[in-house]
Amino acid sequence: MVTSLHQCGSPKAQAGYALSEMVVASSIFFSISLGLLMGFTSLERNYAATTDFSHNHADEMRISDYMAMDLRRATAVEAATNDTTIYIPAYYDSTGTPQTPTLDGEGGVYYGALGSSVKVHYYLLAGTIYRQQDSAAPIPLAMNVQDFVFDVTDIGKVVTTRITFDPTFNSSGASTSAVAATAFYNTTLLRNSRTDVESSVY
Amino acid sequence: MQKGRSTKAGSILVWTVLVIAILSLAAVETLRLVTVKYQNALQTSTWQEALLAAESGIDLAIVELRKSLYPQPNQAWQGWNNQPGNNVTGYELTTVPNAGLNGTPVTIETSVDAPATLIDPTNSWQYYRIRTVGTIPINGPARAADNPQDTKLRRLSLRFERFTNGLLATHALPTDANGNPQPQVSRRVEAIVRPVSAFDEAIMSVGIVDLTNQDIVVDSYDSNDPTKSTNGLYDVAKRQENGDIATDGQLIDAGNAQIFGDVATNAGTVSGVANITGVERTDFYQEPIPIGAPSWNSVNSSVTTVNGNATITASATQGSAASRYILSGISESGGKTLTIAGASDGSQTYVEIYVTGDISVSGTGQIVIQPGVSVTIYFAGNVDISGNGVLNGNNQPGDLMLYGIQPPTDTSEHVNFGGNSQISASIYAPGHDVTVNGGGTNGHVYGSMVGKTVTMTGVSNLHYDESLGSKGMINNYKIVSWFEDNR
Repeated sequence: MVTSLHQCGSPKAQAGYALSEMVVASSIFFSISLGLLMGFTSLERNYAATTDFSHNHADEMRISDYMAMDLRRATAVEAATNDTTIYIPAYYDSTGTPQTPTLDGEGGVYYGALGSSVKVHYYLLAGTIYRQQDSAAPIPLAMNVQDFVFDVTDIGKVVTTRITFDPTFNSSGASTSAVAATAFYNTTLLRNSRTDVESSVY
Repeated sequence: MQKGRSTKAGSILVWTVLVIAILSLAAVETLRLVTVKYQNALQTSTWQEALLAAESGIDLAIVELRKSLYPQPNQAWQGWNNQPGNNVTGYELTTVPNAGLNGTPVTIETSVDAPATLIDPTNSWQYYRIRTVGTIPINGPARAADNPQDTKLRRLSLRFERFTNGLLATHALPTDANGNPQPQVSRRVEAIVRPVSAFDEAIMSVGIVDLTNQDIVVDSYDSNDPTKSTNGLYDVAKRQENGDIATDGQLIDAGNAQIFGDVATNAGTVSGVANITGVERTDFYQEPIPIGAPSWNSVNSSVTTVNGNATITASATQGSAASRYILSGISESGGKTLTIAGASDGSQTYVEIYVTGDISVSGTGQIVIQPGVSVTIYFAGNVDISGNGVLNGNNQPGDLMLYGIQPPTDTSEHVNFGGNSQISASIYAPGHDVTVNGGGTNGHVYGSMVGKTVTMTGVSNLHYDESLGSKGMINNYKIVSWFEDNR
């Protein structure tokens, strides 16, 4: 074998080149593979976090819009973190048809029976935020939102809602500032005179 | 050698294609995410704008209702299909071009009606129901949101009309030149507006409010509510805090006043207030409705001028010819008395007097209003009442209402209202400078004052009767109920 190699000319140089080439090639291959693996893993995590952020933001917007719609027409508000109750006029009858308003004798009007209202309850339960109207079946507004926090601040004529969630960009958990940066605010002017506090826009 | 180069070149090509494929996938996915977000944001903002359009419809209706309060011709409801009234529907279909997102047109449908259930039995005031729909086209593709609750909330009409309960007509999606339906979004709001009295505040002035002459106390009571008055009269123990003062101008000079109520200016200041129990606002403006001369078809001509002892007889029928008088003027002095006589048993009677000239009462002259008589005086000239002044037998400011007919532009007219006795009156004269002269440190004025300027001289107490808020002339409309109908 040796004789044969010598016969071929420059056997040492040829063998050394093959070994070093293999080492270098292997190193480069593993380095690139490792880099790609880490890159793809990072990219995948980032993609998942971005998608999660995007979905959560859409959830925030939907919850906020639902609450703002009810707050605009509210006559009373009971605010608490992740649990808010809004009372709106009993505008519809049992068949869902709008009712004719009636004067209440004190400068206001009411729908349906005097003193009646519809209770709309927003709450977070088992990772889902629900909207429940009176005793009807609750409707899930957003699911897999166990990290959501919605705060409702009642200032009388206006009510501010603030919704946050935990972004998942950092595997060790979101910092306080990162959570605060997800806050979705909505300040809503209550159009109706309130029955629970002395406050009225008009 | 050639074979070796060929192998290396193939490897690079594979890597290049692989990298491009990966980057392309990433780009496509990113673009998809961004597009979905963009579409969601666009649809949501259009949905929000539709609410603004619907609320604009309420504003349009209130403008027409306010116009209808002005003296004729007021051009109210011009361009509307019908005029509102009891069981009559007035409505409008308006397209405001280029007001929406990206210059898209906004369609506002407005319906105003007057249900019989919205007539106040105490004063026959009609409340109005305003229903509006705002519609805006949606830009971009007709793509539904990911979450069904988004669809349920916003009820976007993408491929077919979801808003099936059109206000004025059945909605249908518009189509483009090729007949393809164009997506749009509609929102519907119902508001109830109530009439507002010209006497909704203790003092309302177009210009300056000057209370500097005394350390005046301004508060309120309600002659209709026994918990807020005693036998229909003011009781300091039942004092209320609705003695509001407002000006369209910039200054309320309160002269160390104590105000049991709110004060409001038009981006102005309130100076010299010892105490305000309510809020101080700077965002007030309310255009006072001018008073036009009464246009009565027939009147009681038994008295046409008053200059000495005279008697005007009230009628039990409000608005009847017997209860209406047109006088060229009233001038009483030197022990002369104008008696406005009612029923002998003191039952409710009414009289309306239109004075085309001035009203003057001085010295021992006097106007005596007998119990049970409700007096409304329209005056075109100046008013100067002093001396024995006006004796309001009911002691109710709602039973003596004075309306100043809007003087011609650039003329200066005034109301100087005072007298030795306590004053119970409601004065609405937004074209006149109103001065109320009270009885000094013991003087009490009951009622409400509206003037071009309002000055209190020698008045130490002004008590606003909250029941005036549902009496007298309608000066405005306010929203008392608002509901978004999101069926």
